[in-house]
Amino acid sequence: MRFYWILLGMMITTSAWAGDTRTSNILSEVDDLWRGKSSHAIATLNIQTQHYSRSMKLESWSKGKEKSLTKVLSPLREKGTMTLKSGNHIYTYLPKTDRTIRLSSGMMMSSWMGSHLTNDDLLKESRLEDDFDARISFEGERHGQDIIEFTLLPKEDAAVVWGKIVLEVEAKRHLPIKEVFYDEDMQVSRTFTFTGLKKLAGKIRPSVLHIAPADKPNEYTEFIFQELTLNIPISDSFFNKSALKRHQR
Amino acid sequence: MKLNQLAFRNIFRRKRRTLITASSVAFGVLLSVTFTGTGDYTYTHMIDAGAKMGMGHVTVEPVGYQNSPTLNKKLQHIDKMLDEIRNLDNVSDAVPRIMGQAMFASANKSIGGVFIAVNPNIENAKNNLFIQSLSEGKLFSANSKHGIVVGYKLAHKLRLKLGKKLVYTTTDASGEIISRIARVKGMFKTGVDTIDASMVLLPLAATQQALGYSSNQASLIAVLIHDQRKADDMRDKIASLHSTQNYEELSWHEAQPDLAGVIAMDKSMNYISQFLVGLIIAAGILNTMLMSVLERKHEFGMMMAVGLSPQALFKLVMVESFWLALLGLTLGIVITAPWFYFLYYHGIDLSSGFGDDFTYGGVLIDPLFKARLFPESIVFILGSVFSLAMLAGAYPAWKAGRTPPIESLKTI
Repeated sequence: MRFYWILLGMMITTSAWAGDTRTSNILSEVDDLWRGKSSHAIATLNIQTQHYSRSMKLESWSKGKEKSLTKVLSPLREKGTMTLKSGNHIYTYLPKTDRTIRLSSGMMMSSWMGSHLTNDDLLKESRLEDDFDARISFEGERHGQDIIEFTLLPKEDAAVVWGKIVLEVEAKRHLPIKEVFYDEDMQVSRTFTFTGLKKLAGKIRPSVLHIAPADKPNEYTEFIFQELTLNIPISDSFFNKSALKRHQR
Repeated sequence: MKLNQLAFRNIFRRKRRTLITASSVAFGVLLSVTFTGTGDYTYTHMIDAGAKMGMGHVTVEPVGYQNSPTLNKKLQHIDKMLDEIRNLDNVSDAVPRIMGQAMFASANKSIGGVFIAVNPNIENAKNNLFIQSLSEGKLFSANSKHGIVVGYKLAHKLRLKLGKKLVYTTTDASGEIISRIARVKGMFKTGVDTIDASMVLLPLAATQQALGYSSNQASLIAVLIHDQRKADDMRDKIASLHSTQNYEELSWHEAQPDLAGVIAMDKSMNYISQFLVGLIIAAGILNTMLMSVLERKHEFGMMMAVGLSPQALFKLVMVESFWLALLGLTLGIVITAPWFYFLYYHGIDLSSGFGDDFTYGGVLIDPLFKARLFPESIVFILGSVFSLAMLAGAYPAWKAGRTPPIESLKTI
């Protein structure tokens, strides 16, 4: 689903990476692997916290970096709940009340669907390239695998809470393995792990994304991919706010 | 008639009783000064603290800002307004501020709160409670881009230290969501938990830029005045200025109704207890005066028999009351002065009884039991104690005037 891409995008982000060309080439390559011009996906979202655990099935569409739509397929109680990201804004549509809410600044830092991601995480993904400088910090064998490690440091003025982000990528296939977010004291804040390699949209990709917050060892959020199609024909109007009600049907 | 001389002699004939009566009057002065004085001190302290917490004694703000303080409501041409307001008499300061809600996030956590954007060149410990209560670090400079001063509880929750960064997210003037980074320059500890856990100061210039304000725009102007009791007058004066015509002016009563309510309630409680104390003192005076009249029944009877009119007797006892009251007031001033001096300059430390939370009605109060008196309060105290004493003397005087001469002479 789209959020998977968003998260992947966080590390792999494309195009305009400043710095040496090899770094930006690999990052772009990895990013291209994940983000087509548009996408359609079906995924399962598992959330485990101290207070509850839940599992949801999601369907999502995306176009470019700035537009995405996610719809809950199950459980029935939340079926039809949609999250629309369009440019700078996030909208939530609740079928029960038939209302579309634009998330205010106050809601940006709250959890998305009860997971360990915030709405802000979803929004900032596409701006990572503006906010970070990337460089290769390690190349060689680690845990029996040939890897390349990238370190992403936030730019001075960037509105980023992290101290740095460290990303490990398979050296040969350029598939992501692990992404670790550090706070300013360089303590681990959360870890993304990518597993479950499987053929999706014609290529081998990790199908499971595991998010573990460092301060809550028993909690996690997990995205498991079932289906993925890239470069599907889809129009911009699909991601209109006014189209939310239409998608409901 | 030599009523005065007679009254004097009567008073000093029974020195002990006179002393007791005068002491109860004096005691009344003492209690009244203590009650009124701490009231005057505490309310002024609370109101000034409230004013320094953001809105001032008088606030100039866009129409409707009070009920829905959003960032798309703003004042234009604040320089002109500031000039005009500062030129008014009794204004101690006028400062532009931007107040808004924001989310503050570090890598560990995010918390909702309120920011006040201030100009560090004109804000200081005198007009800003947060600067006054800086506990670590210092205020940012005027051209600081990323400076921020946070409440120590907020810092603790976000696990921030001096120099660490946090990201704040808010909605700008046109409704867009914006995020900016800031580095902790200082921390304050006001003692009000909710404020220490949710408030931050930002540099005005950088905030104006981030929110899409021009340097001549702000959300409000906080006006501080020398005497908080003149807030309503000042509000009307400011409202009549040329430059403030399109905006709303509120005194602290209106801008901080919760504080005004707390003070009004506390004041009426204070009045009730003062009234009760007054009643007890009046009863004491009444008692001694009545005793002295009944005791002299024989004497009054004699005076009437030799031709003194009932009116003259009434007057005599009233004059006695008058001198007694005056004596009592003098004694009261003598015993109250050192007590008041102590309360005014030193006060009694009540902090052990408060715990850590020195707040009442969401406003900081001084944990010291101190007193100050407004001139009119002094007049009020002396006037009311004096009239109380006179009133208590009226019944015995009336009684004296009604002494039946023959019967009185029969009893010895």
